[in-house]
Amino acid sequence: MSAMLLKKEKWPEFVEKLAGKKLWAPGADGDAMRFAPVTEGETPALDFNNTRVPPKEALFPQTETMYRFQLGAEEMEEPQLEDETVLLGVRPCDARAMTIVEKLFRWDIDDPYYVKRRELVTVVGLACSDPGLNCFCTSVGGGPASTEGLDLLMVDLGDNYLLEALTEKGETLLESAGDLLEKADSDAVKEKEKLVLEAEKKIKREVKTEGVPEGLPGLWEDPLWQNVSASCLGCGTCTYLCPTCHCFDIQDETEGFESRRCRMWDSCMFGEYTLHTSGHNPRPTRRERTRNRISHKYSYYVDKFDVIACVGCGRCINLCPVNIDIVEILKKVEEAL
Amino acid sequence: MELEQLQKTAAEVADREDVKYVIGWKKGSYGYRVAPGFIEDAAGAAELIFSPLCTANLATYLTLVEKLPVPRGQEADDRKVAVMVKGCDSRAVAQLLVEKGIGREEVVVIGCPCPGVVDPELLAEKYPETEETVEIKWTEDGFLLVRGEEEIEISRDELLAEKCRLCRYPNPVISDVMLGEPVETRELVEDEGVAEIENRDVDERAAYWEEQFAKCVRCYSCRNVCPLCYCQDCILDRLNPTWVNRAVNFSENTAFNIARAFHLAGRCIECGECERVCPANIPLGRLNRKLAREVRDKYGFEPGVDPEAEPFQASFKPDDPEDFIL
Amino acid sequence: MSATFEPNIVAFLCNWCSYAGADLAGTSRERYPANLQIIRVMCSGRVNPLYVMNALQQGADGVLVSGCHPGDCHYMEGNYYARRRLGMLKDLMEFIGVDPRRFHMSWVSASEGHKWKEVVEKTVEDAREAGPFEGFRRRQIDW
Repeated sequence: MSAMLLKKEKWPEFVEKLAGKKLWAPGADGDAMRFAPVTEGETPALDFNNTRVPPKEALFPQTETMYRFQLGAEEMEEPQLEDETVLLGVRPCDARAMTIVEKLFRWDIDDPYYVKRRELVTVVGLACSDPGLNCFCTSVGGGPASTEGLDLLMVDLGDNYLLEALTEKGETLLESAGDLLEKADSDAVKEKEKLVLEAEKKIKREVKTEGVPEGLPGLWEDPLWQNVSASCLGCGTCTYLCPTCHCFDIQDETEGFESRRCRMWDSCMFGEYTLHTSGHNPRPTRRERTRNRISHKYSYYVDKFDVIACVGCGRCINLCPVNIDIVEILKKVEEAL
Repeated sequence: MELEQLQKTAAEVADREDVKYVIGWKKGSYGYRVAPGFIEDAAGAAELIFSPLCTANLATYLTLVEKLPVPRGQEADDRKVAVMVKGCDSRAVAQLLVEKGIGREEVVVIGCPCPGVVDPELLAEKYPETEETVEIKWTEDGFLLVRGEEEIEISRDELLAEKCRLCRYPNPVISDVMLGEPVETRELVEDEGVAEIENRDVDERAAYWEEQFAKCVRCYSCRNVCPLCYCQDCILDRLNPTWVNRAVNFSENTAFNIARAFHLAGRCIECGECERVCPANIPLGRLNRKLAREVRDKYGFEPGVDPEAEPFQASFKPDDPEDFIL
Repeated sequence: MSATFEPNIVAFLCNWCSYAGADLAGTSRERYPANLQIIRVMCSGRVNPLYVMNALQQGADGVLVSGCHPGDCHYMEGNYYARRRLGMLKDLMEFIGVDPRRFHMSWVSASEGHKWKEVVEKTVEDAREAGPFEGFRRRQIDW
């Protein structure tokens, strides 16, 4: 599809043209912590590495009201999801994660909340020219300019952004920008390819996934799980900040006569996650929970949807308080196979 | 302290028949990372290190390890756990003893006098992390960063973690084996972080904390990393009654943070782990230190100093201050 | 604040002294503001500091905890524990930006009907000055 050039100084104008749609972009407070709705008149900066909290929360909010009701009333009120949303500056790994998670939310029955949000969203990606220390997207099927899950890919070419529309939604977005854009020549495309190659070379970490999906269940009782989980604190950092983790818990919350049913992120690293009403817990220690986290990403999900549920963004490595490193775990898995 | 001495001691302790394992610090998988190491025999002890990067408070593992029911016909493994502690970490052990969270006979405490650790985020900001592991050593008045051939001298003030700037117990208060010589204890200094917030007016404070608490993702890493948050049945996990709703929003996040900080009043030993692990960078240490200061100044109590003391919130003095009472 | 604002106050009263004190205030025909929702507890030492937090979260504009005078506790020392814990809570609340006028503690014995009236007047007046509590109160959440 078409490739266009946008001068960097025209970026604020480009953003203005999107008025009327809800915009989400990396945290504007300089912290680049997480994606947040952009307030009117503000221009999101794109010079960030990656957000700590992945943009999955735009499609799968940490707390999502499923419906509201009044105690004693017969009717309930459902959410009205109709705002067209544009996500700006999504890294290719996070966009890929959306396609991976979508498989689950569209499996057997469609999850109305996720699917609706997914339909309403236009994902504008930003290719990585300077991947982080713990990025390993190239090992799990992605890349610094992977286009999966994106509607529009932006590449930073120094003075310009190269904009490539990848879907109809992306094309519409380009059309709406109109005269701000110039047609990209073949030089720009070549430069992009060069940048991508350079970025790929900068990715130092890698995992070998060959044989892992089939082999993992065989390592059920392997001592490696005890070793890698001994230092685990059992917190939710790795799962909450993972772009592909999608587990949730459903709770009713009542305040006076107002009540709502909502779902919120849950984490398989918490003890309560598998706790039965009887008090029995089939995953009683951090060993089983860690094993499940890795196996789910690298085996069970592959079994079901034929794709590894890890995009190599490196967040769980960056932010684990005790340096539990998924790349190292997979190395150990490989040795044990 | 010499590394050989540390490893030798760890090896000796790990080989003791009544010791299950030694918990120490080892090099992490890359960059500046240091990971907790669980050493079961003398051979493993060669992995252990002690450097300004050893921020983690390992005392948390004393209560974190799940105790599963022992199958019929088997005997419980009641060997001791040996743990390496810095000054602040040793206060956690002492406080656990006060609260009877652990018994003295269950632990072997290996004390490591600590000249102060670095702030890992500050370090990574000033000297960006690379893939290769690097070394940092203590020098007379600062740190020495060794990266391959390169050696960089860094002054103490530049990188010292906030908790260490305020630390008055760099030497372990309790230990079975002490490694190396005690380091110099510093005077009590003003806690600028806390004072800065106290100096604002009440609305500014509310706005400040609203901004902070709104960032919380409720991963509970602050709770889990805390050596003194070891309740089997935490009120935050309870659904009946639901003290704190599961919904993640400013109100519930504040409730969670109040509950967490309050439960540590008179118990927090200021190891700063909660603040270090927070993925949202919420200055949790300020909350804890504020309470610790009130406890010290108003009630003359300091947790984790005397293993024989009474727990602060489960005791009283008839002449406790009551100027706030109508 | 507008003079018409009537704060909601949640009051935790110990069964043996303050509740009886409030009772005495009633039988003595003391007139005091009706903004209080009284919750009787067996002892002020039973008041979990999280009750206070929860009350504020659920719509209280002020909280009052009242128990026996030191030394008078029916359970010998419950109020001493309460004093320590709630004193700490007051400091924490203040630090995170809750107006100190929203939380009060008092000792009111069974014979102090008049003191009870004064305590309530002070509590209500303070909460009224502080205005409606918005802070970390649970709000209607957007979808």
